[in-house]
Amino acid sequence: MALLQEVTSSFLRRFRAPPASLHRIWASQCRHASTEAVAQETDELEVSSFLQAEGPTQQAIERFDPAGVAKRRNRRLPPSRYQFRSPRYYRGPLHPHQPPRPSEPSSREFAPGPFSLPRLEQTYHDTLASDYMVLAYAHLPPGQTAFKKGDRLRRWEGDSPYFKNRPLRGPRGGDTLRLLRKPVTFRNVPQLQRVTVHTMSSDAINSGAALHVSGMVLQAITNVRAEAHEVKKSVAGFGVRAGMYLSLTCELKGEDMYHFLSKLVDVVMPKMKDWPGVKGSSGDFSGNIALGLKADEVALFPEVEVNYDMYPPKLIPGCHITIHTTATTDQDARLLLTQIGIPFFGKLVN
Amino acid sequence: MNAGQKSARRIAAGNGPISRDTVCVSCLHRLTHPSRRNASTGTALAESPSSPTQQPRHPNPPVTTAKAPRKAYQLLASPVLSRPPLLTRDLTSFEKAYYLYQKRLNERLALPFTRYFYYKKGTPGDAEWKRKIKVRKTPARDIGVYAAYGDEGWNDEVLVGDRTAERESVVEALLRDAEGKGIVDEEVVGDKDTEGLVVAGDAKVGEGQRRDLTKVEVERPVERVTEADRANNMRSLSRKMDRTLYLLVKNREGRWRFPQDRVHGRENLHQAAERILVQGFGIDMNTWIVGNHPIGHHQMNYTSGGAPAPRLAKISPNRLVSTSRDRPEYEQEEYGEKVFFMKGRMMTGQADIGKNEYGDSEFRWLVKEEVEEAVTGGYWKSVKDMLAER
Repeated sequence: MALLQEVTSSFLRRFRAPPASLHRIWASQCRHASTEAVAQETDELEVSSFLQAEGPTQQAIERFDPAGVAKRRNRRLPPSRYQFRSPRYYRGPLHPHQPPRPSEPSSREFAPGPFSLPRLEQTYHDTLASDYMVLAYAHLPPGQTAFKKGDRLRRWEGDSPYFKNRPLRGPRGGDTLRLLRKPVTFRNVPQLQRVTVHTMSSDAINSGAALHVSGMVLQAITNVRAEAHEVKKSVAGFGVRAGMYLSLTCELKGEDMYHFLSKLVDVVMPKMKDWPGVKGSSGDFSGNIALGLKADEVALFPEVEVNYDMYPPKLIPGCHITIHTTATTDQDARLLLTQIGIPFFGKLVN
Repeated sequence: MNAGQKSARRIAAGNGPISRDTVCVSCLHRLTHPSRRNASTGTALAESPSSPTQQPRHPNPPVTTAKAPRKAYQLLASPVLSRPPLLTRDLTSFEKAYYLYQKRLNERLALPFTRYFYYKKGTPGDAEWKRKIKVRKTPARDIGVYAAYGDEGWNDEVLVGDRTAERESVVEALLRDAEGKGIVDEEVVGDKDTEGLVVAGDAKVGEGQRRDLTKVEVERPVERVTEADRANNMRSLSRKMDRTLYLLVKNREGRWRFPQDRVHGRENLHQAAERILVQGFGIDMNTWIVGNHPIGHHQMNYTSGGAPAPRLAKISPNRLVSTSRDRPEYEQEEYGEKVFFMKGRMMTGQADIGKNEYGDSEFRWLVKEEVEEAVTGGYWKSVKDMLAER
């Protein structure tokens, strides 16, 4: 009985908070860089074998040679020692074999990457984003109220009693609503979202090789496997039947997108002959800007230029490049792309 | 017959309640709903349906008029001129290890390299490729010696302390490859008779070797750490190329500040900032003032022993501001300073303190931590949130 009491009391002592002043507890919870604060924090940590364990000895480090061990082995290992295939189907949370996360190398859906920290991404976060915020700021002096816009959806006005709960009318000029533009703050500076490279070859109507060549070119310049699309509707005028594979697209996101845009702006655009820039009217009113490259201009990409002779003559395609941004207006998207280095010419249409 | 607007207004002003019987629908709408474009009428409209005791709520309440006479402050503009980082930052050890591992995994998962798509059979380029691939066993040039499809493909992780992922090793490997050598030195082939050395006459033995007949000169990349970094020359723009540098000056009181000057005449802050850069450092700087409004402000009140001590300032016209020359030199009692900082970006050029018209003795290009050390506490508090971390 006494033993049980002793055990219980020692057990309870570990769980009871040490008698400490409120100030000391608060000070320990603040994060300071000083060694005193660190020492204080480590004092309050529980004793653990992890903290006391030592690393491997120098001898163990020098002798570690997995490749050498494998070479010197005479016998053959059973396949289960070096072969592993993750389960093909998900059989529920209680099944003993759970599929690994897609980020695990052993997963069937593993896609390696990223391989680098792109220069354009760094430049955007360090330089361009803060400049954008300054440029897009709209000041409201104290005492002035913001200009109040009319209702987007108009009410039915008049005497008629049927107007009261009638569904609201669209804006004048059409029923399509443009995207609302939120003020630009540090939390929603427009960013590059993705890039779509698209090409369609009419040579592919007669020869399948043309589509393969286009696919190789797109793969070379974007580092992404191209996806083929079939024609939806037959048009006799173009000599095209539904179900024919004539066009390819590549979706670029993240690292691939930044590398592609850097190459486009720094290598390809300066070499383009008599190129005035991207048209000012380019844009879908939602912050996505598109431009086109001719076949000669696609050949200026370093990946195509290096083995230009390997491609059949006249089969290197031109392409459309659509740059999707998180901006909601063309004006904002154009400002971002101008910062990146893409020139615009002509009347700027929003 | 068209009644028209005027008659509609007469009806609205004179007779009783207007309805669809007395005026047309569009005039009726215009008369009962005056334009919402004016903010004050907007609030008036909002008030009328609701109770008359409700006060309109403004998001920005107007500044209340002071009862005492207004105090004048010295109004200053100050360009915060920065040279943005010209180089990418160094990768952390975790990032280097991670990228190397991902590249090696990519070698294992990607389809094998199609040699004949890039090198025609029998050409010198093809022969060079075959020679180099034998040494490094993989098409990639920056992941060391690793055979992804070989027997040792499973051994894709490097040991602790490996220098393959370091920037210097990658640059060295790429340069060696460009010079025509393999990325690592090959082992010398020979037998025990020749003591491991290649015999000149023996064609069979010397097959895998090559002699450096022509030395290919490959331009080495410029170092990231420049001469200015080593000498810690704080006036140089080539120092700390991976950080943002800010231009500070030592004013006539001996304090380190961003260049600043009074706003003269009717010039706005943008114009004042550009003028200050020219008057402070000459015209040999290619700069751009970002936006038309300030990015920060700093207020300093003139006090002596805790009580306000206004100073009498003589404001003389500035030669570069035409609107300031309308008025001859005048005096103003000022209770303090209000500085508004304008963001500026430096492209090319250098500051020339010899052309300074404000009595500043020297200038420096400093990173954020150095700015903190140079300026005083109150000024730093106003300024620190404007400066970029990198």
